[in-house]
Amino acid sequence: MTGRRAAWLGDLATYVAAFLLVTLFAGPLLWLVSLAIRTPAEIFLGAARFIPEEPTLANFEQILTDRTFGLYLWNGIKLCALGALGALLTAIPAAFVFSRRSFRGASVLMLGILTVQMVSPLVLLIPLYRYMERLNLLETHAAAAAVYMALGVPLSVWMLKAAFDAIPRSLEEAAAIDGCSAASVLFFVTLPLAAPGMASAFILNMLMGWSQFLVPFVLLSQDRLQPISVAIFNFAGSTSASTTQLLAAACVITVLPAIAAFLALQRLIVGAIMAGAVKG
Amino acid sequence: MSETRRAGRAAARPAIWPWLAPALLLLAAVYLVPILDVVRLAFGDATLLRPTQSYGLDGVGDVLSQPALPGVLWATLVFTAASVAGILGLGLFIALLVVRGETRRLPGMALLRIVVLTAWVVPGIANGLIWQMLFSEAPFGALNSTIALAGLSPVRWLSDPTNAMISAVIANVWQGTAFAMIVLYAARKGLSNDLYAAAAIDGAGPFARFCFITLPQMRPSILVAAVLVTIQTLNTFDVILALTGGGPGRATEVLSLFTFNTVFYNFDLSGGSVLAVILVLIALVLTVLYIRLLVDRADGRP
Repeated sequence: MTGRRAAWLGDLATYVAAFLLVTLFAGPLLWLVSLAIRTPAEIFLGAARFIPEEPTLANFEQILTDRTFGLYLWNGIKLCALGALGALLTAIPAAFVFSRRSFRGASVLMLGILTVQMVSPLVLLIPLYRYMERLNLLETHAAAAAVYMALGVPLSVWMLKAAFDAIPRSLEEAAAIDGCSAASVLFFVTLPLAAPGMASAFILNMLMGWSQFLVPFVLLSQDRLQPISVAIFNFAGSTSASTTQLLAAACVITVLPAIAAFLALQRLIVGAIMAGAVKG
Repeated sequence: MSETRRAGRAAARPAIWPWLAPALLLLAAVYLVPILDVVRLAFGDATLLRPTQSYGLDGVGDVLSQPALPGVLWATLVFTAASVAGILGLGLFIALLVVRGETRRLPGMALLRIVVLTAWVVPGIANGLIWQMLFSEAPFGALNSTIALAGLSPVRWLSDPTNAMISAVIANVWQGTAFAMIVLYAARKGLSNDLYAAAAIDGAGPFARFCFITLPQMRPSILVAAVLVTIQTLNTFDVILALTGGGPGRATEVLSLFTFNTVFYNFDLSGGSVLAVILVLIALVLTVLYIRLLVDRADGRP
Protein backbone atom coordinates (compact mmCIF):
# COMPACT_ATOMS: atom_id res chain seq x y z
CA MET A 1 0.00 0.00 0.00
CA THR A 2 2.75 2.46 0.93
CA GLY A 3 4.50 1.75 -2.38
CA ARG A 4 1.36 2.69 -4.26
CA ARG A 5 0.96 5.83 -2.22
CA ALA A 6 4.58 6.82 -2.91
CA ALA A 7 4.08 6.22 -6.62
CA TRP A 8 0.93 8.36 -6.56
CA LEU A 9 2.80 11.17 -4.81
CA GLY A 10 5.58 10.79 -7.38
CA ASP A 11 3.06 11.14 -10.19
CA LEU A 12 1.64 14.24 -8.58
CA ALA A 13 5.12 15.75 -8.23
CA THR A 14 5.83 14.87 -11.87
CA TYR A 15 2.74 16.75 -12.99
CA VAL A 16 3.48 19.76 -10.79
CA ALA A 17 7.00 19.97 -12.24
CA ALA A 18 5.69 19.43 -15.78
CA PHE A 19 3.11 22.19 -15.30
CA LEU A 20 5.75 24.65 -14.07
CA LEU A 21 8.02 23.76 -17.00
CA VAL A 22 5.25 24.18 -19.56
CA THR A 23 4.50 27.58 -18.02
CA LEU A 24 8.16 28.55 -18.22
CA PHE A 25 8.61 27.45 -21.82
CA ALA A 26 5.23 28.36 -23.29
CA GLY A 27 4.73 31.50 -21.18
CA PRO A 28 6.96 33.87 -23.18
CA LEU A 29 5.30 32.86 -26.46
CA LEU A 30 1.80 33.18 -24.98
CA TRP A 31 2.69 36.62 -23.68
CA LEU A 32 3.94 37.55 -27.15
CA VAL A 33 0.63 36.49 -28.68
CA SER A 34 -1.23 38.36 -25.96
CA LEU A 35 0.66 41.57 -26.82
CA ALA A 36 0.13 41.05 -30.54
CA ILE A 37 -3.68 40.97 -30.23
CA ARG A 38 -4.04 43.95 -27.90
CA THR A 39 -5.09 47.47 -28.68
CA PRO A 40 -2.52 50.12 -27.70
CA ALA A 41 -4.66 51.02 -24.70
CA GLU A 42 -4.57 47.49 -23.37
CA ILE A 43 -0.79 47.26 -23.76
CA PHE A 44 -0.50 49.74 -20.92
CA LEU A 45 -2.54 47.50 -18.61
CA GLY A 46 0.24 44.89 -18.46
CA ALA A 47 -0.39 41.51 -16.88
CA ALA A 48 -3.90 42.50 -15.80
CA ARG A 49 -4.94 42.07 -19.44
CA PHE A 50 -3.07 38.88 -20.25
CA ILE A 51 -6.28 37.87 -22.00
CA PRO A 52 -7.32 41.10 -23.75
CA GLU A 53 -10.90 42.23 -23.35
CA GLU A 54 -10.95 43.66 -26.85
CA PRO A 55 -8.72 41.30 -28.85
CA THR A 56 -7.89 42.61 -32.30
CA LEU A 57 -6.19 41.39 -35.43
CA ALA A 58 -5.52 44.95 -36.57
CA ASN A 59 -1.83 44.68 -35.66
CA PHE A 60 -1.34 41.69 -37.94
CA GLU A 61 -3.31 43.43 -40.64
CA GLN A 62 -1.13 46.51 -40.42
CA ILE A 63 2.09 44.46 -40.55
CA LEU A 64 0.97 42.12 -43.32
CA THR A 65 -0.39 44.82 -45.57
CA ASP A 66 2.87 46.75 -45.28
CA ARG A 67 4.60 46.20 -48.61
CA THR A 68 8.16 46.25 -47.32
CA PHE A 69 7.22 43.69 -44.67
CA GLY A 70 6.03 41.30 -47.35
CA LEU A 71 9.34 41.85 -49.07
CA TYR A 72 11.26 40.94 -45.88
CA LEU A 73 9.25 37.72 -45.58
CA TRP A 74 9.93 36.86 -49.20
CA ASN A 75 13.66 37.62 -48.79
CA GLY A 76 13.77 35.35 -45.74
CA ILE A 77 12.05 32.48 -47.54
CA LYS A 78 14.18 32.93 -50.64
CA LEU A 79 17.49 32.95 -48.78
CA CYS A 80 16.77 29.97 -46.57
CA ALA A 81 15.18 27.91 -49.36
CA LEU A 82 18.11 28.53 -51.71
CA GLY A 83 20.56 27.80 -48.93
CA ALA A 84 18.80 24.60 -47.87
CA LEU A 85 18.46 23.35 -51.43
CA GLY A 86 22.08 24.14 -52.23
CA ALA A 87 23.31 22.47 -49.06
CA LEU A 88 21.32 19.35 -49.85
CA LEU A 89 22.53 19.13 -53.46
CA THR A 90 26.14 19.59 -52.37
CA ALA A 91 25.86 17.12 -49.54
CA ILE A 92 24.10 14.28 -51.41
CA PRO A 93 27.05 12.98 -53.48
CA ALA A 94 29.44 13.35 -50.55
CA ALA A 95 27.12 11.56 -48.15
CA PHE A 96 26.55 8.79 -50.71
CA VAL A 97 30.26 8.13 -51.04
CA PHE A 98 30.77 8.28 -47.27
CA SER A 99 27.95 5.81 -46.82
CA ARG A 100 28.78 3.35 -49.60
CA ARG A 101 32.53 3.35 -49.91
CA SER A 102 35.19 2.79 -47.32
CA PHE A 103 38.37 4.62 -48.17
CA ARG A 104 41.41 5.89 -46.37
CA GLY A 105 40.71 9.08 -44.51
CA ALA A 106 36.94 8.75 -44.65
CA SER A 107 36.44 8.92 -40.90
CA VAL A 108 38.92 11.78 -40.53
CA LEU A 109 37.09 13.71 -43.25
CA MET A 110 33.71 13.06 -41.65
CA LEU A 111 35.05 14.25 -38.31
CA GLY A 112 36.59 17.29 -40.02
CA ILE A 113 33.25 18.16 -41.59
CA LEU A 114 31.62 17.84 -38.18
CA THR A 115 34.15 20.02 -36.42
CA VAL A 116 34.24 22.97 -38.82
CA GLN A 117 30.77 23.75 -37.49
CA MET A 118 32.31 24.63 -34.15
CA VAL A 119 33.78 27.79 -35.65
CA SER A 120 31.50 30.77 -35.15
CA PRO A 121 30.06 32.20 -38.38
CA LEU A 122 31.18 35.56 -37.03
CA VAL A 123 34.83 34.54 -37.45
CA LEU A 124 34.18 33.43 -41.03
CA LEU A 125 32.28 36.59 -41.89
CA ILE A 126 35.21 38.89 -41.20
CA PRO A 127 37.19 37.67 -44.24
CA LEU A 128 34.06 36.71 -46.20
CA TYR A 129 32.87 40.30 -46.02
CA ARG A 130 36.08 41.42 -47.69
CA TYR A 131 35.99 38.68 -50.35
CA MET A 132 32.42 39.58 -51.24
CA GLU A 133 33.35 43.24 -51.33
CA ARG A 134 36.21 42.56 -53.75
CA LEU A 135 34.00 40.34 -55.92
CA ASN A 136 31.31 43.03 -55.92
CA LEU A 137 28.93 40.57 -54.30
CA LEU A 138 28.02 42.57 -51.22
CA GLU A 139 24.33 43.44 -51.26
CA THR A 140 23.42 40.38 -53.32
CA HIS A 141 21.22 37.49 -52.31
CA ALA A 142 23.49 35.10 -54.21
CA ALA A 143 26.40 35.74 -51.87
CA ALA A 144 24.28 35.50 -48.72
CA ALA A 145 22.59 32.31 -49.94
CA ALA A 146 25.99 30.78 -50.73
CA VAL A 147 27.05 31.32 -47.13
CA TYR A 148 23.75 29.89 -45.83
CA MET A 149 24.42 26.91 -48.07
CA ALA A 150 27.95 26.34 -46.78
CA LEU A 151 26.77 26.63 -43.17
CA GLY A 152 24.21 23.89 -43.85
CA VAL A 153 26.53 21.42 -45.55
CA PRO A 154 28.13 19.76 -42.49
CA LEU A 155 24.83 18.89 -40.85
CA SER A 156 23.38 17.76 -44.18
CA VAL A 157 26.28 15.41 -44.90
CA TRP A 158 25.92 13.77 -41.50
CA MET A 159 22.14 13.46 -41.68
CA LEU A 160 22.13 12.14 -45.24
CA LYS A 161 24.87 9.63 -44.50
CA ALA A 162 22.75 8.29 -41.64
CA ALA A 163 19.74 8.14 -43.98
CA PHE A 164 21.71 6.32 -46.70
CA ASP A 165 23.22 3.92 -44.14
CA ALA A 166 19.71 2.80 -43.23
CA ILE A 167 18.92 1.75 -46.82
CA PRO A 168 19.74 -1.88 -47.63
CA ARG A 169 22.45 -2.22 -50.25
CA SER A 170 20.86 -5.21 -51.94
CA LEU A 171 18.53 -2.99 -53.98
CA GLU A 172 21.41 -0.88 -55.23
CA GLU A 173 23.42 -3.97 -56.08
CA ALA A 174 20.53 -5.36 -58.07
CA ALA A 175 20.28 -2.12 -60.02
CA ALA A 176 24.03 -2.13 -60.61
CA ILE A 177 23.87 -5.67 -61.96
CA ASP A 178 21.21 -4.47 -64.36
CA GLY A 179 23.79 -2.05 -65.66
CA CYS A 180 22.94 1.17 -63.83
CA SER A 181 25.81 3.59 -63.39
CA ALA A 182 26.62 4.78 -59.89
CA ALA A 183 24.92 8.09 -60.59
CA SER A 184 21.71 6.48 -61.76
CA VAL A 185 21.74 4.08 -58.80
CA LEU A 186 21.94 7.09 -56.52
CA PHE A 187 19.28 8.97 -58.45
CA PHE A 188 16.72 6.23 -59.08
CA VAL A 189 17.21 3.83 -56.17
CA THR A 190 18.83 5.48 -53.17
CA LEU A 191 17.35 8.97 -53.22
CA PRO A 192 13.68 7.92 -53.46
CA LEU A 193 14.22 5.54 -50.55
CA ALA A 194 15.99 8.24 -48.55
CA ALA A 195 13.17 10.77 -49.05
CA PRO A 196 12.23 11.04 -45.34
CA GLY A 197 15.86 11.64 -44.36
CA MET A 198 16.27 14.23 -47.10
CA ALA A 199 13.06 15.94 -46.06
CA SER A 200 14.19 16.27 -42.46
CA ALA A 201 17.63 17.52 -43.54
CA PHE A 202 15.95 20.09 -45.79
CA ILE A 203 13.57 21.27 -43.06
CA LEU A 204 16.35 21.52 -40.47
CA ASN A 205 18.38 23.58 -42.94
CA MET A 206 15.36 25.80 -43.56
CA LEU A 207 14.89 26.30 -39.82
CA MET A 208 18.56 27.18 -39.38
CA GLY A 209 18.40 29.57 -42.30
CA TRP A 210 15.22 31.20 -41.03
CA SER A 211 17.01 31.89 -37.72
CA GLN A 212 20.12 33.16 -39.44
CA PHE A 213 20.80 36.75 -38.45
CA LEU A 214 24.50 37.46 -38.63
CA VAL A 215 25.09 36.53 -42.28
CA PRO A 216 22.45 38.86 -43.78
CA PHE A 217 23.18 41.51 -41.13
CA VAL A 218 26.79 41.70 -42.30
CA LEU A 219 26.46 41.02 -46.03
CA LEU A 220 23.25 42.92 -46.78
CA SER A 221 22.82 46.45 -45.57
CA GLN A 222 20.14 47.64 -48.01
CA ASP A 223 16.73 47.59 -46.46
CA ARG A 224 14.99 46.06 -49.47
CA LEU A 225 17.31 43.01 -49.47
CA GLN A 226 16.98 42.07 -45.85
CA PRO A 227 15.26 38.96 -44.53
CA ILE A 228 12.70 39.11 -41.78
CA SER A 229 15.17 38.32 -38.97
CA VAL A 230 17.20 41.46 -39.66
CA ALA A 231 14.08 43.49 -40.39
CA ILE A 232 12.46 42.87 -37.00
CA PHE A 233 15.72 43.79 -35.28
CA ASN A 234 15.82 47.09 -37.15
CA PHE A 235 12.11 47.58 -36.51
CA ALA A 236 12.65 47.03 -32.76
CA GLY A 237 15.26 49.78 -32.78
CA SER A 238 12.73 52.23 -34.19
CA THR A 239 9.75 51.35 -32.01
CA SER A 240 8.58 52.83 -28.75
CA ALA A 241 6.18 51.70 -26.03
CA SER A 242 3.21 52.86 -28.08
CA THR A 243 4.03 50.45 -30.90
CA THR A 244 4.88 47.39 -28.79
CA GLN A 245 1.83 45.58 -30.15
CA LEU A 246 3.13 45.98 -33.72
CA LEU A 247 6.56 44.64 -32.82
CA ALA A 248 4.88 41.71 -31.07
CA ALA A 249 2.77 40.99 -34.15
CA ALA A 250 5.89 41.13 -36.34
CA CYS A 251 7.64 38.71 -33.98
CA VAL A 252 4.68 36.32 -34.08
CA ILE A 253 4.79 36.36 -37.87
CA THR A 254 8.54 35.63 -37.76
CA VAL A 255 8.29 32.84 -35.22
CA LEU A 256 5.14 31.16 -36.50
CA PRO A 257 6.46 29.59 -39.75
CA ALA A 258 9.38 28.03 -37.86
CA ILE A 259 7.15 26.59 -35.15
CA ALA A 260 4.57 25.38 -37.69
CA ALA A 261 7.20 23.63 -39.81
CA PHE A 262 8.71 22.11 -36.72
CA LEU A 263 5.41 20.87 -35.31
CA ALA A 264 4.38 19.37 -38.65
CA LEU A 265 7.60 17.39 -38.90
CA GLN A 266 8.68 17.10 -35.29
CA ARG A 267 8.79 13.29 -35.23
CA LEU A 268 11.08 13.24 -38.23
CA ILE A 269 13.30 16.02 -36.91
CA VAL A 270 13.56 14.78 -33.33
CA GLY A 271 14.24 11.29 -34.65
CA ALA A 272 17.08 12.59 -36.80
CA ILE A 273 18.61 14.59 -33.97
CA MET A 274 18.31 11.67 -31.57
CA ALA A 275 19.91 9.31 -34.08
CA GLY A 276 22.77 11.79 -34.35
CA ALA A 277 22.95 12.20 -30.58
CA VAL A 278 23.08 8.47 -29.87
CA LYS A 279 25.75 7.89 -32.47
CA GLY A 280 27.53 11.03 -31.39
CA MET B 1 26.49 -15.60 -59.73
CA SER B 2 29.35 -14.33 -57.62
CA GLU B 3 31.11 -13.08 -60.72
CA THR B 4 28.22 -11.02 -62.02
CA ARG B 5 27.72 -9.71 -58.53
CA ARG B 6 31.33 -8.62 -58.31
CA ALA B 7 31.04 -6.94 -61.68
CA GLY B 8 27.90 -5.20 -60.48
CA ARG B 9 29.65 -3.96 -57.38
CA ALA B 10 32.54 -2.63 -59.38
CA ALA B 11 30.11 -0.67 -61.53
CA ALA B 12 28.50 0.74 -58.41
CA ARG B 13 31.88 1.94 -57.18
CA PRO B 14 32.54 5.37 -58.56
CA ALA B 15 35.75 7.27 -58.17
CA ILE B 16 35.59 8.91 -54.77
CA TRP B 17 36.94 12.42 -55.19
CA PRO B 18 34.60 13.82 -57.85
CA TRP B 19 31.71 12.98 -55.54
CA LEU B 20 33.30 14.67 -52.57
CA ALA B 21 34.62 17.67 -54.45
CA PRO B 22 31.56 19.98 -54.34
CA ALA B 23 31.13 19.68 -50.58
CA LEU B 24 34.83 19.83 -49.78
CA LEU B 25 35.53 22.79 -52.06
CA LEU B 26 32.61 24.74 -50.61
CA LEU B 27 33.71 24.00 -47.05
CA ALA B 28 37.28 24.97 -47.91
CA ALA B 29 36.15 28.27 -49.43
CA VAL B 30 33.82 29.24 -46.59
CA TYR B 31 35.59 27.73 -43.58
CA LEU B 32 39.22 26.86 -44.18
CA VAL B 33 40.39 29.84 -46.24
CA PRO B 34 38.66 32.44 -44.05
CA ILE B 35 40.06 30.90 -40.87
CA LEU B 36 43.60 31.03 -42.26
CA ASP B 37 42.96 34.56 -43.49
CA VAL B 38 41.78 35.67 -40.05
CA VAL B 39 45.05 34.44 -38.58
CA ARG B 40 46.96 36.39 -41.24
CA LEU B 41 44.91 39.54 -40.65
CA ALA B 42 45.44 39.25 -36.89
CA PHE B 43 49.14 39.88 -37.33
CA GLY B 44 48.68 42.83 -39.66
CA ASP B 45 47.34 46.35 -39.33
CA ALA B 46 44.42 46.31 -41.75
CA THR B 47 41.20 48.19 -41.22
CA LEU B 48 37.92 47.58 -43.02
CA LEU B 49 38.78 50.56 -45.23
CA ARG B 50 42.47 49.87 -45.87
CA PRO B 51 44.39 46.62 -46.52
CA THR B 52 47.30 45.41 -44.43
CA GLN B 53 50.43 47.56 -44.82
CA SER B 54 52.75 45.87 -42.37
CA TYR B 55 52.80 42.77 -40.24
CA GLY B 56 53.94 42.45 -36.67
CA LEU B 57 52.94 41.75 -33.13
CA ASP B 58 52.17 45.39 -32.21
CA GLY B 59 48.52 45.08 -33.16
CA VAL B 60 48.12 41.91 -31.14
CA GLY B 61 49.60 43.65 -28.10
CA ASP B 62 47.31 46.65 -28.60
CA VAL B 63 44.22 44.47 -28.64
CA LEU B 64 45.24 42.37 -25.67
CA SER B 65 46.06 45.46 -23.58
CA GLN B 66 42.70 47.13 -24.27
CA PRO B 67 41.18 48.20 -20.96
CA ALA B 68 37.80 46.76 -21.99
CA LEU B 69 39.09 43.24 -22.65
CA PRO B 70 39.25 41.84 -19.07
CA GLY B 71 35.63 42.88 -18.50
CA VAL B 72 34.57 41.30 -21.79
CA LEU B 73 36.33 38.04 -20.97
CA TRP B 74 34.78 38.01 -17.51
CA ALA B 75 31.30 38.61 -18.97
CA THR B 76 31.92 35.80 -21.47
CA LEU B 77 32.99 33.43 -18.70
CA VAL B 78 30.01 34.25 -16.49
CA PHE B 79 27.50 34.09 -19.35
CA THR B 80 28.89 30.81 -20.67
CA ALA B 81 29.31 29.06 -17.33
CA ALA B 82 25.88 30.07 -16.04
CA SER B 83 24.18 29.20 -19.35
CA VAL B 84 25.84 25.79 -19.61
CA ALA B 85 25.00 24.95 -15.99
CA GLY B 86 21.40 26.09 -16.48
CA ILE B 87 20.93 24.33 -19.82
CA LEU B 88 22.42 21.03 -18.68
CA GLY B 89 20.69 21.06 -15.30
CA LEU B 90 17.28 21.90 -16.71
CA GLY B 91 17.77 19.66 -19.76
CA LEU B 92 18.69 16.68 -17.59
CA PHE B 93 15.79 17.37 -15.23
CA ILE B 94 13.25 17.51 -18.07
CA ALA B 95 14.71 14.43 -19.80
CA LEU B 96 14.45 12.38 -16.60
CA LEU B 97 11.00 13.77 -15.84
CA VAL B 98 9.75 12.77 -19.29
CA VAL B 99 11.27 9.29 -18.95
CA ARG B 100 9.65 8.87 -15.52
CA GLY B 101 6.30 9.99 -16.89
CA GLU B 102 6.62 7.60 -19.82
CA THR B 103 7.52 4.58 -17.68
CA ARG B 104 4.53 5.39 -15.45
CA ARG B 105 2.44 5.81 -18.61
CA LEU B 106 1.32 9.27 -17.60
CA PRO B 107 -0.38 11.15 -20.43
CA GLY B 108 0.88 14.58 -21.47
CA MET B 109 4.65 13.96 -21.44
CA ALA B 110 4.88 14.36 -25.21
CA LEU B 111 3.28 17.79 -24.82
CA LEU B 112 5.98 18.86 -22.35
CA ARG B 113 8.68 17.76 -24.78
CA ILE B 114 7.08 19.61 -27.69
CA VAL B 115 6.64 22.83 -25.70
CA VAL B 116 10.32 22.82 -24.70
CA LEU B 117 11.34 22.14 -28.30
CA THR B 118 9.14 24.96 -29.56
CA ALA B 119 11.34 27.47 -27.74
CA TRP B 120 14.32 25.95 -29.52
CA VAL B 121 13.09 26.77 -33.05
CA VAL B 122 12.42 30.42 -32.23
CA PRO B 123 15.01 32.46 -34.17
CA GLY B 124 17.67 33.87 -31.83
CA ILE B 125 16.95 37.46 -32.73
CA ALA B 126 13.23 36.98 -32.01
CA ASN B 127 14.18 35.29 -28.74
CA GLY B 128 16.06 38.42 -27.68
CA LEU B 129 13.17 40.69 -28.67
CA ILE B 130 10.57 38.52 -26.92
CA TRP B 131 12.53 38.52 -23.68
CA GLN B 132 13.10 42.23 -24.01
CA MET B 133 9.33 42.67 -23.94
CA LEU B 134 9.06 40.31 -20.96
CA PHE B 135 11.81 42.10 -19.03
CA SER B 136 10.50 45.53 -20.00
CA GLU B 137 10.98 47.86 -17.05
CA ALA B 138 7.92 49.93 -17.88
CA PRO B 139 5.15 49.56 -15.30
CA PHE B 140 3.21 47.50 -17.87
CA GLY B 141 6.15 45.16 -18.66
CA ALA B 142 5.24 41.48 -18.46
CA LEU B 143 7.26 40.43 -15.42
CA ASN B 144 7.10 43.72 -13.58
CA SER B 145 3.34 44.04 -13.96
CA THR B 146 2.94 40.41 -12.86
CA ILE B 147 4.97 40.84 -9.69
CA ALA B 148 3.15 44.13 -9.09
CA LEU B 149 -0.09 42.11 -8.93
CA ALA B 150 1.57 40.19 -6.09
CA GLY B 151 2.38 43.49 -4.42
CA LEU B 152 6.13 43.42 -5.08
CA SER B 153 8.16 46.38 -6.28
CA PRO B 154 9.48 46.40 -9.86
CA VAL B 155 12.87 44.89 -10.70
CA ARG B 156 15.44 46.57 -12.96
CA TRP B 157 15.79 43.54 -15.19
CA LEU B 158 17.90 45.14 -17.91
CA SER B 159 19.27 48.42 -16.57
CA ASP B 160 21.10 46.91 -13.60
CA PRO B 161 24.40 45.28 -14.70
CA THR B 162 24.04 42.11 -12.59
CA ASN B 163 20.36 41.66 -13.41
CA ALA B 164 21.04 42.21 -17.11
CA MET B 165 23.49 39.31 -17.07
CA ILE B 166 20.96 37.11 -15.25
CA SER B 167 18.28 38.12 -17.77
CA ALA B 168 20.55 37.28 -20.71
CA VAL B 169 21.33 33.87 -19.19
CA ILE B 170 17.60 33.19 -18.66
CA ALA B 171 16.80 34.02 -22.28
CA ASN B 172 19.65 31.80 -23.49
CA VAL B 173 18.70 28.90 -21.20
CA TRP B 174 15.07 29.16 -22.32
CA GLN B 175 16.15 28.52 -25.88
CA GLY B 176 19.11 26.18 -25.37
CA THR B 177 17.56 23.67 -22.96
CA ALA B 178 15.78 21.70 -25.69
CA PHE B 179 19.02 20.54 -27.29
CA ALA B 180 20.42 19.20 -24.02
CA MET B 181 17.05 17.65 -23.26
CA ILE B 182 17.00 15.66 -26.52
CA VAL B 183 20.58 14.44 -26.21
CA LEU B 184 20.14 13.43 -22.57
CA TYR B 185 16.71 11.91 -23.16
CA ALA B 186 18.22 9.68 -25.87
CA ALA B 187 21.07 8.75 -23.53
CA ARG B 188 18.71 7.88 -20.67
CA LYS B 189 16.56 5.78 -22.99
CA GLY B 190 19.71 3.90 -23.96
CA LEU B 191 20.37 2.73 -20.40
CA SER B 192 19.44 -0.85 -19.64
CA ASN B 193 16.65 -1.42 -17.13
CA ASP B 194 18.58 -4.26 -15.47
CA LEU B 195 20.59 -1.89 -13.33
CA TYR B 196 17.44 -0.20 -12.06
CA ALA B 197 15.76 -3.56 -11.43
CA ALA B 198 18.79 -4.73 -9.44
CA ALA B 199 18.83 -1.48 -7.48
CA ALA B 200 15.13 -1.85 -6.70
CA ILE B 201 15.75 -5.34 -5.32
CA ASP B 202 18.53 -3.92 -3.15
CA GLY B 203 16.06 -1.35 -1.87
CA ALA B 204 17.72 1.75 -3.37
CA GLY B 205 15.53 4.86 -3.23
CA PRO B 206 15.05 7.31 -6.11
CA PHE B 207 17.85 9.58 -4.92
CA ALA B 208 20.33 6.70 -4.59
CA ARG B 209 19.34 5.42 -8.04
CA PHE B 210 19.94 8.88 -9.48
CA CYS B 211 23.36 9.28 -7.82
CA PHE B 212 24.69 5.76 -8.30
CA ILE B 213 23.12 4.62 -11.56
CA THR B 214 21.72 7.45 -13.68
CA LEU B 215 24.51 10.01 -13.25
CA PRO B 216 27.52 7.68 -13.65
CA GLN B 217 25.92 5.81 -16.55
CA MET B 218 25.02 9.03 -18.34
CA ARG B 219 28.32 10.74 -17.65
CA PRO B 220 29.74 10.34 -21.20
CA SER B 221 26.61 11.82 -22.78
CA ILE B 222 26.47 14.64 -20.25
CA LEU B 223 30.08 15.53 -21.05
CA VAL B 224 29.43 15.50 -24.80
CA ALA B 225 26.36 17.69 -24.33
CA ALA B 226 28.37 20.02 -22.07
CA VAL B 227 31.04 20.59 -24.71
CA LEU B 228 28.51 21.19 -27.50
CA VAL B 229 26.42 23.57 -25.39
CA THR B 230 29.57 25.46 -24.35
CA ILE B 231 30.53 26.01 -27.99
CA GLN B 232 27.00 27.08 -28.92
CA THR B 233 26.86 29.52 -26.00
CA LEU B 234 30.28 30.94 -26.78
CA ASN B 235 29.10 31.67 -30.33
CA THR B 236 25.81 33.20 -29.13
CA PHE B 237 25.43 36.65 -30.49
CA ASP B 238 21.96 37.53 -31.71
CA VAL B 239 20.11 36.91 -28.44
CA ILE B 240 22.35 39.31 -26.52
CA LEU B 241 22.41 41.88 -29.31
CA ALA B 242 18.60 42.02 -29.37
CA LEU B 243 18.09 41.77 -25.61
CA THR B 244 20.68 44.12 -24.11
CA GLY B 245 22.93 45.19 -26.98
CA GLY B 246 25.81 44.33 -24.64
CA GLY B 247 24.74 46.85 -22.02
CA PRO B 248 24.18 48.43 -19.63
CA GLY B 249 27.68 49.77 -20.20
CA ARG B 250 29.60 46.64 -21.12
CA ALA B 251 27.93 44.37 -18.54
CA THR B 252 26.74 41.79 -21.08
CA GLU B 253 29.21 42.40 -23.89
CA VAL B 254 30.53 38.88 -24.51
CA LEU B 255 33.53 38.10 -26.71
CA SER B 256 31.54 37.44 -29.90
CA LEU B 257 29.67 40.74 -29.60
CA PHE B 258 32.88 42.60 -28.74
CA THR B 259 34.54 41.09 -31.83
CA PHE B 260 31.63 42.12 -34.01
CA ASN B 261 31.70 45.68 -32.68
CA THR B 262 35.46 45.93 -33.14
CA VAL B 263 35.28 44.94 -36.81
CA PHE B 264 32.00 46.33 -38.03
CA TYR B 265 31.56 49.44 -35.86
CA ASN B 266 35.17 50.48 -35.24
CA PHE B 267 36.37 49.14 -38.63
CA ASP B 268 39.38 47.68 -36.81
CA LEU B 269 39.86 44.60 -38.98
CA SER B 270 43.16 43.39 -37.56
CA GLY B 271 42.06 43.97 -33.97
CA GLY B 272 38.83 42.10 -34.57
CA SER B 273 40.82 39.31 -36.19
CA VAL B 274 42.94 38.94 -33.06
CA LEU B 275 39.73 38.51 -31.06
CA ALA B 276 38.39 36.10 -33.69
CA VAL B 277 41.55 34.02 -33.36
CA ILE B 278 40.92 33.84 -29.61
CA LEU B 279 37.38 32.60 -30.37
CA VAL B 280 38.77 29.98 -32.77
CA LEU B 281 41.37 28.83 -30.25
CA ILE B 282 38.75 28.35 -27.53
CA ALA B 283 36.54 26.46 -30.01
CA LEU B 284 39.55 24.36 -31.05
CA VAL B 285 40.33 23.31 -27.48
CA LEU B 286 36.67 22.42 -26.90
CA THR B 287 36.54 20.51 -30.19
CA VAL B 288 39.59 18.42 -29.32
CA LEU B 289 37.90 17.66 -26.00
CA TYR B 290 34.72 16.74 -27.85
CA ILE B 291 36.48 14.36 -30.23
CA ARG B 292 38.31 12.67 -27.37
CA LEU B 293 35.00 12.17 -25.59
CA LEU B 294 33.48 10.69 -28.74
CA VAL B 295 36.40 8.34 -29.24
CA ASP B 296 36.26 7.27 -25.59
CA ARG B 297 32.57 6.60 -25.91
CA ALA B 298 33.02 4.62 -29.12
CA ASP B 299 35.61 2.48 -27.31
CA GLY B 300 33.07 1.79 -24.61
CA ARG B 301 35.18 3.28 -21.87
CA PRO B 302 33.25 5.28 -19.29
